[in-house]
Parts: sequence; C-alpha cells; structure tokens
Amino acid sequence: MIRRNTVESAATDAHVAYDGRYVYGRLNRLAKTVLEWHGWEHRLWRMAIIVVLSLLYLFSVTLPMDLGMQSLYAALVFGVALYLRRYTGTMFTLILIVISVNQSTRYLYWRFTETLNLDSWMDGVFGVILILAELYAWFVLLLGYMQTVWPLRRKPEPMPDDTSLWPALDIFIPTYNEPLKVVRPTVLAAMALDWPKDKLNVFILDDGRRDEFKAFAESVGVRHVVRDNNFHAKAGNINAALANTQGEYVAIFDCDHIPARSFLQMTLGWFLRDPKLGMLQTPHHFLSPDPFERNLGTFRRVPNEGELFYGLIQDGNDLWNATFFCGSCAVLRRSILLEVGGVAVETVTEDAHTALKMHKLGYHTAYISIPQAAGLATESLSAHVGQRIRWARGMAQIFRVDNPFLAKGLNFMQRLCYSNAMLHFFYGVPRMVFLLSPLTYLFFEAHIISTSALAIAAYALPHLALANLTNSRMQGAHRHSFWAELYEATLAWYIFRPTMVALINPKLGKFNVTAKGGLVKEEYFDWEISQPYLIMLALNVAGLLIGIVRLFWWNTFELDTVILNLLWTVYNMVILGATIAVATETRQLRVNHRVAYRQPVTLKLKGGKSYACRTTDYSEGGLGVEMPAENLVALKNELDVSLFMGEREYVFPGHVAFMRGNEVGIEFAELNLQQQMDLVQCTLARADAWLDWSENRSIDRPLAGLKEILFHSMSGFRHLLYFMRAGLHGLSAYDEDAAAMEKSIGAGKVAQSSELAGWRGRLNRATKNMVLLGRSLLLKPVAPRVVDKKF
Amino acid sequence: MTIIAVISPKGGVGKTSVSVNLGCALAEKGCSVRLVDMDPQNALRLHLGANPAQTGGLVHQTLQHQEWQYAEFDSAYYGVSFIPFGVVSEIERITFESQLGRMPNLLHDNLASLEQMPGGLTIIDTPPGPSVYTQQALSVANLVLVVMMPDAGSYATLPSIEGLLQYYCASRADFYGSYFILNQFDASHVLNRDIKSVMQHDLGERLAPFCVHRDVSMSEALAFQQPAKRYAPYSQGVDDIEHLATWLNALLGRGGRD
Repeated sequence: MIRRNTVESAATDAHVAYDGRYVYGRLNRLAKTVLEWHGWEHRLWRMAIIVVLSLLYLFSVTLPMDLGMQSLYAALVFGVALYLRRYTGTMFTLILIVISVNQSTRYLYWRFTETLNLDSWMDGVFGVILILAELYAWFVLLLGYMQTVWPLRRKPEPMPDDTSLWPALDIFIPTYNEPLKVVRPTVLAAMALDWPKDKLNVFILDDGRRDEFKAFAESVGVRHVVRDNNFHAKAGNINAALANTQGEYVAIFDCDHIPARSFLQMTLGWFLRDPKLGMLQTPHHFLSPDPFERNLGTFRRVPNEGELFYGLIQDGNDLWNATFFCGSCAVLRRSILLEVGGVAVETVTEDAHTALKMHKLGYHTAYISIPQAAGLATESLSAHVGQRIRWARGMAQIFRVDNPFLAKGLNFMQRLCYSNAMLHFFYGVPRMVFLLSPLTYLFFEAHIISTSALAIAAYALPHLALANLTNSRMQGAHRHSFWAELYEATLAWYIFRPTMVALINPKLGKFNVTAKGGLVKEEYFDWEISQPYLIMLALNVAGLLIGIVRLFWWNTFELDTVILNLLWTVYNMVILGATIAVATETRQLRVNHRVAYRQPVTLKLKGGKSYACRTTDYSEGGLGVEMPAENLVALKNELDVSLFMGEREYVFPGHVAFMRGNEVGIEFAELNLQQQMDLVQCTLARADAWLDWSENRSIDRPLAGLKEILFHSMSGFRHLLYFMRAGLHGLSAYDEDAAAMEKSIGAGKVAQSSELAGWRGRLNRATKNMVLLGRSLLLKPVAPRVVDKKF
Repeated sequence: MTIIAVISPKGGVGKTSVSVNLGCALAEKGCSVRLVDMDPQNALRLHLGANPAQTGGLVHQTLQHQEWQYAEFDSAYYGVSFIPFGVVSEIERITFESQLGRMPNLLHDNLASLEQMPGGLTIIDTPPGPSVYTQQALSVANLVLVVMMPDAGSYATLPSIEGLLQYYCASRADFYGSYFILNQFDASHVLNRDIKSVMQHDLGERLAPFCVHRDVSMSEALAFQQPAKRYAPYSQGVDDIEHLATWLNALLGRGGRD
C-alpha cells in the first residue's frame, strides 16, 4: 500500500515522477482493472465503447452553457484534475491530457461560435488575428501532447565482448573560423575515445584551411582535411570529407563539443542490433551558461531553453521513430547517409532535413538521452538570437521544400512529430499577437472578443490552467512553467520575419556561424537587441496608463472589460520585463569557463609534503581546489597536482595562482601533449562528467514558475531604469567632452550652454538625452549582430 | 580477537609506519587496537610517543618468565595500546630468538594470555624478510598485510613472500587471507605506475585498492614522535591510510576471504 499522494513527493524524485510508469494507489488499481477487462478483446464492444465515449467527448466540447453552468462545469473539471494529478503514472498523464484538450477545445469552439465580432471592420480584423493565433496555439498544444506523451527512454545497447566485431569509425570535427584553443580539447578527447585504436580515425574538417590547424593535426597524429571551396558550409564540408574517408560509421562533433570517452560504446550498440538504423543522436549538453542562464543567474537551477527538446521531445520522437539529427554528438551509418545523398544542402538546418530524408526511405533513427559530450553555449543574447533565427529559418525552409504532411514514405506520427518541430518555429506572430492584443481595446476600444469578461474568464481560465497543469506534469523536469513564455517572447520578433520569408521563398537563406567563447568585459544593456521588447513594453505601459484613465473616467460602464484587459497587459509587462533582464549582459571575464568538478585531488609540494583535497571547479588553464585547512600552501608555490581516473593517477605540474581562505586556485604549467590529453580525460571527457548536472534543481510547480518569471521581470525593470539613467549620464559626459573639445579650438559659445547650472541645464540635458534615446530606439537597424558566412 | 601480521620482503619500505598509522586509523573508527612490536629495531614505540629511556618490552618479560601484559602501554593517541620489543642486549636477543626457535607457539601463547577485547585487533609488526619473528607472526595471523614499495626490488621478492604465506598460513582454517599494500607510491614516476599496474595484474583483488603515497609528512611524524594522523592530519598519506582502514574494516566485517 505505497501511495505517492502528492505531486511534490513524487517530484522530489524527478525520475520517478517523470518516468511515470510507476503506478500506485486505489485509482491506479481501478484503472488497471478497467484496462484488463476482457470486453476489450471483443471488437464490437471495443468499437461501441469508443464511439460512445467519442460522442460524449464531442458533446462535452460543444454543449452550450450559460455563465453559471460553465463556471460550475469548469470548477468541477478543474477539481477533478487537481485530484488526479496527485497520482503518478502515465495513465493519469493521459487522463489529464484528455481533460486539458477537452477544456482547450471547448474554449476554442466557444470562441469560434459565440465570440467572433465582425460588426465593425476594426473589431473584425483584430478579432480574427487573435483567434487565428489562438488556433495556432491550440494546434501546437495538441501536437506537443502527442509528441511527448510517452518518452521512449532508450537504454544503451551493450557492445559485443569481442572487440574484433566492433566496426571502424571516422570522427569528423568540422570547423570554420573557431580558434584552435576551442578545437584542441575536442580533438584530444576524440583521439582518446574508448575504442580499438586501429578502428578509430579522427579528421579535422577545416574549412578555414589554416596552417596552424594543419601543424596541430600533424603533431597529434590526426588527419587535417580541406576542400577547395566552401559551398554549403558545414553540410558541404562533411559531404566533401565523406568522399575521402571509408569508416563504416561517422561520428560528428561540432568543434567545441568535447566527447566523453564512453561516447562510442554507449551509442554503437544499437547500430549493430538494428541494421536499418541510420542515425543515433545524443543530447547537446552545454557546460557554460547560455545568455538566459548567465544574465538571469539561473545556470543549472532552471532548465535552459534546449532542455525541453533534448530531455523530452527527442525521447518522445524516438517512440515514433522520428528522432531528429541535430548536427553534432551523433553517429551516422555511412551507407545510409550516402543513400540519402549525404548531409542535406537544400536548407540551413541540414541536420533535421537529413534525418527527414532517412525517414522517407524507411530507415530508423534513435536517441539516447545521456549526455555524452559537452560544449560551449552561445556567448551573448545577440549570438543566441542569431542561432535561433537560423534554426527557425531552416525549419521553415524544410516546411516548404519537403513538407512533412506531403512527403512520401512517412507514417502518420512521424508527420506529426516533424510538423510540430516546424510549426513550433512559427510562434513569432502569435506570440506578438498575445503580447499586444489587449492594447486594441485599451488604445482603440476594439472589442475583439464579443462577450463579457466574466464569460471569458469562465472559459479561458480552465483552458489555461489545465494546459499549464498538464504541461508542468509532463515537462516540469525539463522546462519550468511559464518559462516558455519568456523564451518565446525574447525571440518572437526575430524569428517571425525569417520564417515568413522562408515560407515565401525558401532559397533566401544564409548560414550563420554561431560565435562562442568570447568575453563580456563589463555589464551592459544591449539596446540594439532589446528594441522590439522595449517598443512592445512602451506600448504596454502606454496601454496601462490609458487603461487606468478608462477605468476611472472613460469606460466606467464596462469595468469588467477594462479590468480584464488591464490584467492581461500587466501579465504581458511581466513577461517583457523578464526579456529585458535577459538583454542585460552581465560580465563574463574569464575566457575559459569554469566547470563545477568535485573530485579528489592530491597536491604535492616541492618539499615532499602532499595534501589530500577536493577540486571545486575546472577550467582549461587551471583548477579550483578546496584545502582541508587554511595556509597549507602559499602563493606561487610550485606543486604537482594528481588527478585520478579509476585506478589510474595522473600528475600535472602547476603553481598556486590564487588563495582565499581555504580556496586555492591552481594554474597549470605548460603541459606537454600527453599531459593535455590526460587532463581532458580526467576532466571534461570523463564518462560521468555530465550525469549529475540537474541534481540540485528545484522542482517545477506552476505557480513557482510564475514567481520566478515575476522575480526576473522586476530585476529587468530595475536594470532598465539603471541603464536609462546611466545612458543619460553617459551621453551627458559625451556632450561635455565634445563641448570641451570645441572650447579648446575656440568655439566658446557651445561650452557655455553645457555648463548651465540649475534646472535649466538639467532640463536641457534631459530633453537632449530623451531625444537621443528615442532616436537610438527607433532608428537603429534591428538586425542582430552575427557572423555571416555567405557563399 | 583478530590478529594482523604486517610483513615486508625488504627493509625501509615503511612497514612500522603503516602498522602504527593504520592502527590509529582503525582505533579512531572504534576498534580497540593493540600493537605488538616483534621487530628488534624497537621503533614502533617511538611513533606513539613512548619515552626513549623506557627499556622494558616483551623480550624482558619472556626471559624473566613474566606475563606480557605488564609490558603493555597505553599510548596518548586514539586509545591505541602497544607492547614494545624492548631495549635488549645482544645476548638477550640471541637467547630470545633461540627460544622462539624452540617454542613455535611462544607468540601464540603469550598473545592468548593477554586481556582479550571483544572485536579487538592485534597488529604485529615484524622485521623485514624471513626470520623467526616473521615465522611466529605468520603462524598466528588471521590476516597478513604485505607492505611493498613500487620498485623492482620489492616486485622481485613477490615469489618468496608467496612461499612464506603458503607455508605458514594457507592451510590454517582461521586464516582469512593476505593482502598487499603499496607504500611510498609516486605517480609522477613512470616506473612506479608501471609496477603498480603489473602488480594489479598479478595480484588482482589481493592488492589493496588504495596505495599510500610518498609523503614527507609520514617520516617527519616519527621525528615528532606522533602518529602521522596527529602530526599532519591533512596529508595525502594520512588520507590514504584512512581509506585503507575503511577497506580493512569492510574486509574484516565480512569475515575475510570470499
């Protein structure tokens, strides 16, 4: 009689809650009894029950009710859902999905049948735009449920004991303009992968054709491959290398993705078991914070943007044999890759397109959700935006040139999985519609939903609450509630144009190389990238102010409508505030990212004393160590650092570069090649390096997610005010400098005006600065700064 | 009462140091530990802060036909007690050794006469190489720890040690097994690492999973007449000994050999 009676208690053990196949409790037993009923065996019974239930479901979606009845019905359904969510198990997830879909569909049906207001052209246009956005959201919600309802959670397949049966492999590391410093650890780790050495060939595919890389490749004994053009960027680079190599399998790593030594043994087993398997993907794990995590300070505490995809969606796809190829940290079977014509070159997301082509020919793909490689995240918001623009554009291109609804050879669920992946990237317009819709009333008094605010609440609240509840249950371990709003609001403006352009003409695409591993010397606010948020925020603030006037003076006869729109606006401002927090680039001074790293370490001083300590973090140049007591070592002490891997011990020379209390920073001396390889093995390439990544994470609860967003939003507003003030002062300083310069060359008049004391001077400066600020907001080009690779 | 004999194929490998420090670590984990020095160097007592002027020990007790318990000292550290060899003249030593030769049960009987602590441990330190002391220690031991250095000299003696163990221990029903401990290991020396992996290969499970690193604190501790654990609590050597003690506890807890 073990009963997991609350979601919290189940969720403390995220795997149990999430894995969700463990079923306990009375209701679960009841459900089991129903499922095991022998009547299901009879076709007639089965059909009859399905038809009756479907009709009931349809009825519950379409039955018109008055406000009171609808409120009662919504409260009832919501109560049942709240009760059911106490139980773990996929069965109850399914029931919650059924309830959530019921309420969302009911809401949408009601919106279409009873609330469309086509009386005036303004109400009609805004109303139709909003309802289409809602239709899109409903459709994506449904697809999302279907895609992730049963994550496969595939386990690695063991390799045969006899290593002579293990196939020969090529490792491709494509690079274009990344510095050798970034590529070196990847190459060293690839060389040290646990695999028979005579069956492992590492290739650096250098599209930059750099001598430095050639020399490095020769010194470590890997092949440096170049081609005489740069057509089709990374895809072309890989295809060119395919023609010159012959390993039975190809593993591809982006040049900054450092593989763990166990990568190949974890992944190849499935290829030996399934001869039709064309590609196996593992997660892209990031050892450094992405701009969201860095600027909001949520690194490792809140799941990042990519985790929903790698933690859940890919595993859900895997059940339907629809895992996408993601360009890196994957193994491909050469014969199948060649059969689909190599890596696809028609679109800028060549990876997903390649997998689609494999699926069309009836081949399989697979996913193993164990991080077996790690890389650097995008360094700044603008770089991040640039990368997402590429993905969005690429997915929209595939939607046009190889539409998964029409493509031959896919089964139904594969079509759905691909469609969702592509449709997902069209969220740009709907998201902005939601962010701006209340303004149509607050500004123009447009009644885009023609009913009372109370009725809207009675229909929309259960729809929204249940969708959040169900999604929190399904995705909570990989995406906290309400964070999707933030992620999408940040990118909405930037991806809506490329997706639209690609829909109209898929050939208009460029491939952006994502810049990684840079420095942000001091905290600054990215005025350029945040322009769309600032404009939307300004509009919402204006709407709020007008709304207050409407509330007290102009529209007192329809207070409920005013209040509803005001609340909606405030919610939108919260989301926009958080996007502004994201655009405040915090300082990032270290070139080499520190990675938390808790391992035993021995420090051996030159005198012969040695201390048993623990490491705290690792970066390429050094090691953070926690000493058992203070003052055991002194600054500049030279010492030997011993790191352990299994039974083996590796020694690296270094010196004490930093001391604070019992925290000591050690900088490695010049390491020879063998030592560099050993160091990568002991640190980033450890088989278990990334397994406990999300260990200290708080559990998702819908309201807690909202609170998190609210908190970041507040800090966003604080930053905005600070930087606006600093911006004004900074500009003033500039003015004075300019004035001083003019004075020195003899134009004294201007100088006087800037030296005006008192309120006139301040007013003068303030107006000037407001004008400058306004100009910077409105007139600057809005394209994000990314490195463009044109061809 | 479990008896552990600590032996080594050759001198200077740090056997006494390992015995004392391991004894202290086990005592701190709650065992009652008695150390018996069967090595004419009589150095064990110095590790535990004994007065160098004190000359008594098990040799005098034996020659005067007195009980060993009157030569047992309580050390100032972790509740460990010890019986020193004693400061003896050459005549006394020769007489004692001939007695040991004539009476193969001398050590056994004397240990049996001591106060028996439930779950207690007796650790016997011996001189390097085969000798009458080692013979008697091996014949009473439930468990033998062989301390080795990761050098070619120690490695070459492996077969002779195995011969000794085979002769004195293997056939006894109360013998748990023998294990090897690498002392003064230095991973920055290629030879050390190679010998370690060869021994791992040869000995398998019988090589202790932790080696004791070369650490100057261990020898400095003797100069200060303290166990290393007290003298340099954070040193790597002490940390290694801690691990060994935990490992040994688990070994004894499950009753020795699988």
